[in-house]
Amino acid sequence: MAIDGEISERLPWASGPAELDWDAAYAELLPRVYNYFRYRVGNEAAAEDLASRTFEKAWTQRARYRRDLAALSTWVFSIARNVAVDHLRAQRPHLSLEAADAMAAADTPHDDVSRASDLERLAALLKHLPAREQELVALKYGAEATNRAIAALTGLSESNVGTILHRVVQQLRSVW
Amino acid sequence: MEDQFLHDMRRAPPPEFAARLRARLHAQRPAHHERWRTPVARWLAAAAAVAAVGFAFTFPDVRAGAAAFLDLFRVVNFAGVRFDPQRLAGLKAGGVDLPSLLGDVEPLAQPGAPVSYADPVEAGRAASIDVRLPAWVPPGWTLAETVVAAEHSVRVTANAAKLQAVLDTLALNDVRLPEGLDGQVATVTLPPVVGMTYRSGDVALHLFEARSAEVSFPAGFDLPALAHAALRILGLDRDEAYRMAYSIDWRSTLIVPVPADAASFRPANVAGADGLLIERARGGSVLLWSAGGRMYALSGPLGADGLLEMAQSLQ
Repeated sequence: MAIDGEISERLPWASGPAELDWDAAYAELLPRVYNYFRYRVGNEAAAEDLASRTFEKAWTQRARYRRDLAALSTWVFSIARNVAVDHLRAQRPHLSLEAADAMAAADTPHDDVSRASDLERLAALLKHLPAREQELVALKYGAEATNRAIAALTGLSESNVGTILHRVVQQLRSVW
Repeated sequence: MEDQFLHDMRRAPPPEFAARLRARLHAQRPAHHERWRTPVARWLAAAAAVAAVGFAFTFPDVRAGAAAFLDLFRVVNFAGVRFDPQRLAGLKAGGVDLPSLLGDVEPLAQPGAPVSYADPVEAGRAASIDVRLPAWVPPGWTLAETVVAAEHSVRVTANAAKLQAVLDTLALNDVRLPEGLDGQVATVTLPPVVGMTYRSGDVALHLFEARSAEVSFPAGFDLPALAHAALRILGLDRDEAYRMAYSIDWRSTLIVPVPADAASFRPANVAGADGLLIERARGGSVLLWSAGGRMYALSGPLGADGLLEMAQSLQ
């Protein structure tokens, strides 16, 4: 409301707590954006690079940024998704299903190794799913977005998001 | 859980990567000033606006002669006044310029962008005050940044016709402006402000310290008469405005307008000083108080008890 902005400009105590605090937003969103890319591209180094690109774009385009943190989160993830699309468009699948199966059968004794390996296995399995399903998994489990937030980002209905994710999880679980 | 294996693959960003990216982003923006501009500028603007309201209550009922002494307003107390934002929205929609509601405003000293300092002592030196620091902060909170905003000063020349037009717009027929108001000049000065940010993870609270704002104006004013007009404009009913106008010491009380739909307020005692605690409807609080010729503001997402404890520990 115009009056709200008017008052907030003059009276700090009239404004809400959601004013832009870039450092706070960075601290809250970096892990989510970083993991979104880890799940989306299955590669730690690429995830760092893509997360960097996302935040740099967000910063240079900050004039478009709206106030509350929820809106900021949606806005940053819309940038992240575009960054992911650009990246994936320039990539070709680099791991065959056979290779993924071989990795799935591998025995990895150390947690770190196991975790890295799991991520690559997941990436390999996801590559055989439609792009929409891959995106939903990355948003749900990487970005830790709610079904409602995913629906807002993707244009799907909330119930549709839940249904698709349930089906994908069943599929992945069966071959994990 | 069927999908737990998917959650388990999450990992925190490598600290060196997070730090490197943060540094790169910081390098791409104008130091810390952008982040600081909002709260400091808001506080400055608010303090100046509030001081201007104080000034509004200090116009003379007779034009002071050349030999008249200058009178001086300094902040000792704070008083909250609830106002209806819709009322001001209506004024704005009607073409009333709120910042110059009372007269023509001419900047004398612009504060510019706040400047970062390595520590509060250095900042206090720059602001010519001995900065007081809290002996107690809530667990997990640490001082993250200190800045100084330079002095801000404006000259306000009263415009009685403009003010009368506002009264007419609001149909405040019971209000009479003091005679001789038009053309009176006051100077509003807000000395340099030291701002300190404390952080706990992602959240921040701000402590501001400054010497008292001052308003100089010609002596011999009927302050309550003009206070009555200003309070009526803010939306107080006739009786409440009258009661308040004639019970407050307008040479030492800073009026703090609080939007009725956005926050509530109550008096607060800070180490023996009368203060004002404003609690926002959407979370967070602001504590304003004055002591030893200084004004203090503490703002953040703490409850009233936390703010008061921190404020009372200043030394």
